[in-house]
Amino acid sequence: MNHIKKIIQSVLIYIVLGFTVIISIFPIIWVVFSSFKTNAQILSSPFSLPTSLGFGAYQAVFKQTDFLMYTLNSLLIAAISTAISLVIYAMAAYVIARYDFKGKNLVYSLFVITLLVPSQCKAQPIFSLIIQLNLYDTKTALVLVYIAAGMAMSLFILKNTFMSIPKDFSEAAWMEGSGFLRTFFSINLPMAKSGMATAGILMFLGNWNEYFFAMLLTTSPACRTLPVALASFNETYSYNYTNMFAALTMAILPGILIYAFAQDQVTNSIVASGIKG
Amino acid sequence: MRSLTAKQKNLIWIWVFLTPCLLTFLLFYLAPILTLAYTSFTDWDGANSPAFTGLANYIYLFHTSDFQRALINLLLWSVIAGTFHVFFGVLIALLLYKKPHGWKFVETVFMIPNVISMAAWAMIYRFVFNGSYGILNGIIRIFSPGFSVNWLFESPYAFFAVTLTWLFYAVVVTLLVLGDLKAIPPDLHEAARIDGASEWYITRKINLPLCRNSIGTAVICSISARISMYETISLTTRGGPGNDTMNIPLILVNAINDSKYGYANASGMVMLLIGIVLLVVVNKAFRMNESVY
Repeated sequence: MNHIKKIIQSVLIYIVLGFTVIISIFPIIWVVFSSFKTNAQILSSPFSLPTSLGFGAYQAVFKQTDFLMYTLNSLLIAAISTAISLVIYAMAAYVIARYDFKGKNLVYSLFVITLLVPSQCKAQPIFSLIIQLNLYDTKTALVLVYIAAGMAMSLFILKNTFMSIPKDFSEAAWMEGSGFLRTFFSINLPMAKSGMATAGILMFLGNWNEYFFAMLLTTSPACRTLPVALASFNETYSYNYTNMFAALTMAILPGILIYAFAQDQVTNSIVASGIKG
Repeated sequence: MRSLTAKQKNLIWIWVFLTPCLLTFLLFYLAPILTLAYTSFTDWDGANSPAFTGLANYIYLFHTSDFQRALINLLLWSVIAGTFHVFFGVLIALLLYKKPHGWKFVETVFMIPNVISMAAWAMIYRFVFNGSYGILNGIIRIFSPGFSVNWLFESPYAFFAVTLTWLFYAVVVTLLVLGDLKAIPPDLHEAARIDGASEWYITRKINLPLCRNSIGTAVICSISARISMYETISLTTRGGPGNDTMNIPLILVNAINDSKYGYANASGMVMLLIGIVLLVVVNKAFRMNESVY
């Protein structure tokens, strides 16, 4: 009797877990498969497997749109904003973690409380600010906005990282006559690698995937990022489903690849972003 | 001039190191929020200077059917997110905690929808719910040939279709709760087992109460995501049909496009305030400031 109960229990568990797996990847697999099917196949038999493995639709997307440019735009904007953020937030997190000074708690609280501000609610002030700075419809505008977006999270992760580095190393360096800058750059920063990686990957993924401000602050194709371009393909390819699915496949692939290579960092950063302060 | 002591020198460096971060804060947080708060009480089109109108924007806002519908939707979505969505995430966490065969695979795969852009996810769901060739209708047609509902564009289905784009994707909840579960000292479970407690009893009376903090955080995260949900609406239903799936970010963007900045910022303020109220209420409800051990 107990035996049967156990079997039923594990069957139920696997039904729930199987359901979770299916809803998580089935839509994506369906998109990938559809990108190898013809329009007619997509319309008539949504569940059939592709009959041939042609990359025609992928070539067409590159030929008919500036897909490569949009990808490079996204890459450039995400990479630059992540790199700058890492530098400025590592500097701030370091002094907050390592030194006592007047106003420290106030400054840190102000920085971290920004996590509670939904970024969309600032849409109009930021829109006007970017116009005043003469940066409307530039990649620089997005870089600036994305740098700001990562503030609370990165400071939180990096502050904890610097706090976990023993003070002895800095003190030893100090005794040997190493100054403030050298103690930071050649002693503490190299030891904060793991935290930098976690914060960096989190920011890069966020910036790479960002849609709201990219849509709000740019109009010309020259500054268009991939998520915004994807939305515009909807009109370009309203009757060419194969190409649309090919574009979608290429757009989601990089995120999945980053995750595949840095699974632990991505997972850690999700947990850290929830715990906050 | 006296030379600076080491301590004073440090103090200079400290503020040098903080300056870029401070500037970012002032420019992209403090100034925008002050602008937001002030101009929400004004009539402003961006070109002329803002004219103070008191609560007029708010009164107008709460009288439009779009905004009323957006608030009702937010309330419904928040309740669904805070109950069913969090429940599903906690359930998966409890199952994965026991490390059944393939737990690592499930955890990995569950995360995938979270690493791709919401814009792409919205597009994918546009096709899932498509009336002619979408997967959902495809599945239903196996049982009932000729079935056709255009889920995202027909009332009352659109609201549920938008809900389904996030309902089960609770990996953040799962990871948060798993973190707390893994931190429970094993002796607690052993002691309970020696006393003859069943697994279900341990889950209910030991594990779940000790995950109070992470479940509270999960509720806040899940509902916050509903407040700022944008792509999965603007790239699918655009608030329609009628205003069935209207929400505040959509109203805000439309107001910016119409150069009604005061009005846009009043809706931004409402978003901000709802977020703060949520945080305070959930913090109290889950007694999150108290230590669990």
